[in-house]
Amino acid sequence: MSEEEPDWQTVKSELLEGVLKRGAVVARVGDPDLLGDAPPGQRPSDLLPQVKSMIVLGGSAPRVGEWNSPRAEVLETVGTADRMAAVGSALARQIEERLGYYALNVPTSTDQDDKPFLDFVAAAVVAGVGSPSLAGPVLHPDHGFVYLTVILTSLPLPFDGPIEQPACPAPSCVEMYDERGVTPCTDVCNIDDGGCLGGQIQDGLVIGRRYDANRCRDRVYHYWVPGYQAVLEQVLSEPDAERRKMMLYGSYFTRTMWSITYSNVSQGQCFECMRVCPVGAENRMLK
Amino acid sequence: MDDESIDEFEARTDAIKQLGLDSGATVVGVASASAFNEYVPEGHRPSDFMPGAKSVVVAGSLGPSNASWQSPNRRLMEITGYDFRENVASLVIAEHIETTHGYQAMQAPALPTSGQHPPMSMMLAAVLAGLGTRSVAANIILHPTYGLLYYAAAITTMPLVPDHQLEDNVCPARSCVKMYELEGKTPCMAVCPADDGGCIDATIDNGEITSSYFNRERCSTRAMNFGIRGHIKQVELLTAADDINEAKAVLHSDDFRRNLSSVGRYKESVAQCFECMRVCPVGRYRRTLK
Repeated sequence: MSEEEPDWQTVKSELLEGVLKRGAVVARVGDPDLLGDAPPGQRPSDLLPQVKSMIVLGGSAPRVGEWNSPRAEVLETVGTADRMAAVGSALARQIEERLGYYALNVPTSTDQDDKPFLDFVAAAVVAGVGSPSLAGPVLHPDHGFVYLTVILTSLPLPFDGPIEQPACPAPSCVEMYDERGVTPCTDVCNIDDGGCLGGQIQDGLVIGRRYDANRCRDRVYHYWVPGYQAVLEQVLSEPDAERRKMMLYGSYFTRTMWSITYSNVSQGQCFECMRVCPVGAENRMLK
Repeated sequence: MDDESIDEFEARTDAIKQLGLDSGATVVGVASASAFNEYVPEGHRPSDFMPGAKSVVVAGSLGPSNASWQSPNRRLMEITGYDFRENVASLVIAEHIETTHGYQAMQAPALPTSGQHPPMSMMLAAVLAGLGTRSVAANIILHPTYGLLYYAAAITTMPLVPDHQLEDNVCPARSCVKMYELEGKTPCMAVCPADDGGCIDATIDNGEITSSYFNRERCSTRAMNFGIRGHIKQVELLTAADDINEAKAVLHSDDFRRNLSSVGRYKESVAQCFECMRVCPVGRYRRTLK
């Protein structure tokens, strides 16, 4: 007697309802084959040959109070994808242990040569968790910036697909661009003035996006591994012993070490483009 | 102790085990605290950390997910070896014992505090709690059903009913004995032979391990390739560099970044070589899913 085929839509609904209760604010399913053009090694099937669907979860953005703190150091030390990774890990366990299908919570850390195991932004766009933005992060139309986690599974879940109306540029950004030639994010971090972002908006669409990835990384991971390497390089080049001591025992190096030991809660240290983004801004305001 | 008390302690023991399972552990067992005395010197016994300790509750959990074992990208397992569920379970158990039963309880100290030696051996705890036996493969404790598990424990002054140690050794499995008889090696010895740059060797007679050899130093450089020790080695290279360009080559290498990343994300990166466990037949069929 053949095993009765489950109602995959019901299975999907139950799984996604569960992760929404555990802390995700958005949970959708994408077709992993749509990432087939990714570089070899970074395609979903390179990580899990049996993959049939790709669950993408978003959530765990900074709290309203954190967004509103006048101290930039607050956001510098609380940005974390750890909560989403934990929710993803629990979902993967649930799929394997209760349903008997493979499920892999893709690591949020990087592989050899600092490359991601999978392009989370592309996965989120394919699943419809949000749309790409001029600033860089995937933006959910209601929640704006969210941290992401991706679960690859052999479960044949029905796909949701990309969202129809991109979240970026928001109408207010289009208006601002028409008036001043910049959006809030390109204004606060302008690539032509020492920042990371640039681009034009034409007919309501972002075109010619410019992004200085190296400069952005230097700011987003200001106190992490790159900071440690930069200080050590200076120390090793410094002939004066007292100056070397000053660098090693100084605040910058100490904070860098704190960031490394707490790297799960200190992943993003510059939120300036997201602070000014209007998408989901209403969720960043309370009484 | 009368029958009623025995029933009561058995019921309490079962309830605590169930709590561990509900908190994320895959298996839970109980060892008597005094059982350690026969195997380890003073300083490493439960009563050295908690005077009056009566029981040790041991929680084991699966490390990598089954899908991780399937991934052709071996590096993926390097950073997803561990999710600490057994630690969560042992902490929940300890808190439950203190708040509900009024006995002292604490998580057993398992992280090395002197060289590579942990204050208390979780491997021994697992064996004494009847959860597994030592294997040829790097002495890893194998559970008869699940194979490789990660272990944590809670020490308590609460008397609980201990489990029996397993009567039969889990390793060598029958298929390994057959392979040994045919080829003179087991799957783990074949994949990581001590006499050919690997870490494992053993002899088997009548289905029992009669001798085993494990090159722990070599194994640790592979199982923990990126992390604290890798970083220390690179600091040594930096301090010995003849000029700044040589130092910069080390400092900005991918190895340096990965070592520091592993230090920072230690919990995701505690084990980086699973080759002997990939080929181990114990629990292997359980890793095959739809």
